[in-house]
Amino acid sequence: MTNLADAPPQAVSAPPRQRRSFRDLVLQTEINFRLFGMLVALAVILLVFHVWSGGTFLRPENMLSLAVQASGIAVISTGMVLVIVSRNIDLSVGSIVGIVAMTYAVLMTDVMPGLLGMAGDFPFRWLIALGLGMGLGLAVGALQGFIIAYIGVPSFIVTLGGLLSIRGAIWYFSRGAAVSGLDEDFQLIGGGAEGSIGGTATWVVAVLGSAAILALLYYNRRQRRRYGFPLRPIWAETLLASLGVLFVWGLAWVANRNFWPRGLAEAYARANNIPIPEGGLLIPAGLPYPVVIVIAVALLMTWIATRRRFGRYVYAYGGNPEAAELAGINTRWTIMKTFMLIGILCAIAGAIAAARLNGATLDIGVSYELYVIAAAVVGGTSFAGGIGTIPGAVLGAFVMQAIAYGLSYVGVNSPGQNVVAGIVLILAVGFDAWNRRRGT
Amino acid sequence: MSLNRRAAILPAALLIIAACGGPGATQAPTQGPTQAATDAPTTAPTGATADCTVAVSWNNFQQPRWAAHDQPGIKDTVEAAGGTYIDADADLSNEQQITDVDTLISRGADVLILLAQDTTAILPAVDTANQEGIPIIAYDRLIEDPEVLYITFDNVAVGRAEAEAILEAVPEGNYVLIKGDPGDPNASTFLPQGWDEAGLKAKVDAGEITILNMSGDNWPEDAGTYTAAWATETAQDNMETIIDRAVAEDNTIDAILAENDSTAIGVVAALEAKSYGFPPLSGQDGDPANLNNVALGKQYVDVWKNARELGKAAGAAALALCEGQDMASLTMEEGLVDPSVAPDSLTAQDFETPGGNTVKSFILKPTPITRENLDLVLEGGWVTKDQLCQGVDTASAEAPEACK
Repeated sequence: MTNLADAPPQAVSAPPRQRRSFRDLVLQTEINFRLFGMLVALAVILLVFHVWSGGTFLRPENMLSLAVQASGIAVISTGMVLVIVSRNIDLSVGSIVGIVAMTYAVLMTDVMPGLLGMAGDFPFRWLIALGLGMGLGLAVGALQGFIIAYIGVPSFIVTLGGLLSIRGAIWYFSRGAAVSGLDEDFQLIGGGAEGSIGGTATWVVAVLGSAAILALLYYNRRQRRRYGFPLRPIWAETLLASLGVLFVWGLAWVANRNFWPRGLAEAYARANNIPIPEGGLLIPAGLPYPVVIVIAVALLMTWIATRRRFGRYVYAYGGNPEAAELAGINTRWTIMKTFMLIGILCAIAGAIAAARLNGATLDIGVSYELYVIAAAVVGGTSFAGGIGTIPGAVLGAFVMQAIAYGLSYVGVNSPGQNVVAGIVLILAVGFDAWNRRRGT
Repeated sequence: MSLNRRAAILPAALLIIAACGGPGATQAPTQGPTQAATDAPTTAPTGATADCTVAVSWNNFQQPRWAAHDQPGIKDTVEAAGGTYIDADADLSNEQQITDVDTLISRGADVLILLAQDTTAILPAVDTANQEGIPIIAYDRLIEDPEVLYITFDNVAVGRAEAEAILEAVPEGNYVLIKGDPGDPNASTFLPQGWDEAGLKAKVDAGEITILNMSGDNWPEDAGTYTAAWATETAQDNMETIIDRAVAEDNTIDAILAENDSTAIGVVAALEAKSYGFPPLSGQDGDPANLNNVALGKQYVDVWKNARELGKAAGAAALALCEGQDMASLTMEEGLVDPSVAPDSLTAQDFETPGGNTVKSFILKPTPITRENLDLVLEGGWVTKDQLCQGVDTASAEAPEACK
């Protein structure tokens, strides 16, 4: 049963039709109750901070800052879900982020203009650096994965070693100094006014997103009918479609209510001879690139986890390793691949972190492992293996960052933030344990 | 592996990580380039110092400054006088450092220079040395023992220099205070004390300056935002939040007091991400990336502690102690360290420690670096011109003199 845990369990046992309680109605929509609960929790958290801050918190700019700050953790947490689901742990993610971020910085400021003879105007230099960094992330992940899966050293030990030794290697790599001054194209990965896709592109994303939701719901219904699976009632389908479309358009609206800062907009207007209208020039910034990256990674990883053979193997192994092995799954290769995947995700998060800083410091990525594990666990991933969803982990990352950002916004300092974050972590897992014992 | 056992492992993991990240993480990273010392005195060996062995116990080499600047400062001074230099690096471990001190003593140390991992955990090693009659210099970090000679930069003066520069540039308006790790006395006590000595609190009380990021009503502990482990990314997130809030409430940020360079880098990144412009910003350490920001006009002042000079002072003091000079009347030779950083009195002064001890001390002065005096860090060989002027348009009239 556990290997189906990321699919709505209600899909397996058709809901009884005769009872009409509210719970049944919710069950008929097949909305994942836990994910829905987290969305509600997130909304409540945001509202609490809105009131606490005297009504200035819920602004598009703030929401996008929050989302950008959560992006690195959210990206890695999608991979951490698969690692934890297959009964392993990766403590080295922060160090991998650090060494890859330092790689980008050293490549672009030192190695490329020097050794490789690629000056700052070399075409797609930033993309080459990005590729090399992701290659490094993959290689580190593959090495750790190999030692874990084929040699049989516990992942806890291997990645703890990785945490220490990779962090140490960063020092030698940068000769102990902070490195700054990345390519301007690369900096866009980090967001900010210029690092956003713009108003028009955001609306296009909204149109495509809602079309995809409708198409998926339709396809899903057709497939169910074809194979004789129970169908959702039409009212539930309509509700799901409207909620999904509403969410996508709401997101686009928030992103486009976030305008360029006045100074930047005016400089842009002067440079392009655009008259500045009364009340200032309002250029919608749209979705920041880090947020676009999170959305893309979350979709891709959800597809891998739920629709690809590899993803199903991961859940099968996590649910029952012996059974998976006996069923003929190449479990070692599967495990190694989860670490390769998380290595690449760390490289993406490293790019976001380095681009945001316009450089790399020695301590970039420090304690990411704790936040990433917390995000996955708050998102419903179980250390018992076999249970955990990717959207849950992404939401978990946003919930944790919403708390950190909100407390910081109202002026609570880091010790207070840590106290609250710790309590939330325990509450979330406690809720899961209680919920599971109650038996759904 | 059973499920229960695995569930039990995570908290253990977190503890281990916390333990590993602990001591090192609470120090401000102080980065510098790796260059060999070139400006050491080259006098011939003389009498008593010729057979003097000066032993140094470093708590770590993770922070680049120790190996890059402090070590050459001490080593060259000692070796130029014909003494022998030996050292050990404790890799951020209190226990290792105590073992190191024992080893250094058995290797024949006549004087010990200790960069202590912890001001009190080092005391067993200090007792051992005291019993052997070996004088101890507490280097850069205090040791709570009445017998030591304390040689350091004045951390309160660093804070004072930061605030003096910023208050002169922005005498009134809205200030943001970015502090370091809440567990580090430099962050919570000494640097804010320096800010107040420069007149920050008086101006706040007079209503000329408003602190935008107060977390409560108490001064100074609720003034400003702490940055766990002095981490740049944390400072960046915090600063973004503060900018968001200022924009939402229609406040402008006129100046930012950041306690050190790693947090100042995060502040600059946040200002850039929000396209906010660059209000006057402080920092300390003289990291190359920050000095570059000073040259670029993104950071107003960087308070520089010339570690090479600190090393020289410690090396010379060690040699004098070796000759049997009394700690109480120890006098630093005039011109040994650069006059701009030399202590007010060249004779060792009493210093009251927070732990209630009175020790002899030499307290050196920090140097505030702004775009007007960037040549100082070039002359000292602290950074190269390439590092300092990276991205500066040297043809522009606005480029700092040092880059032209």
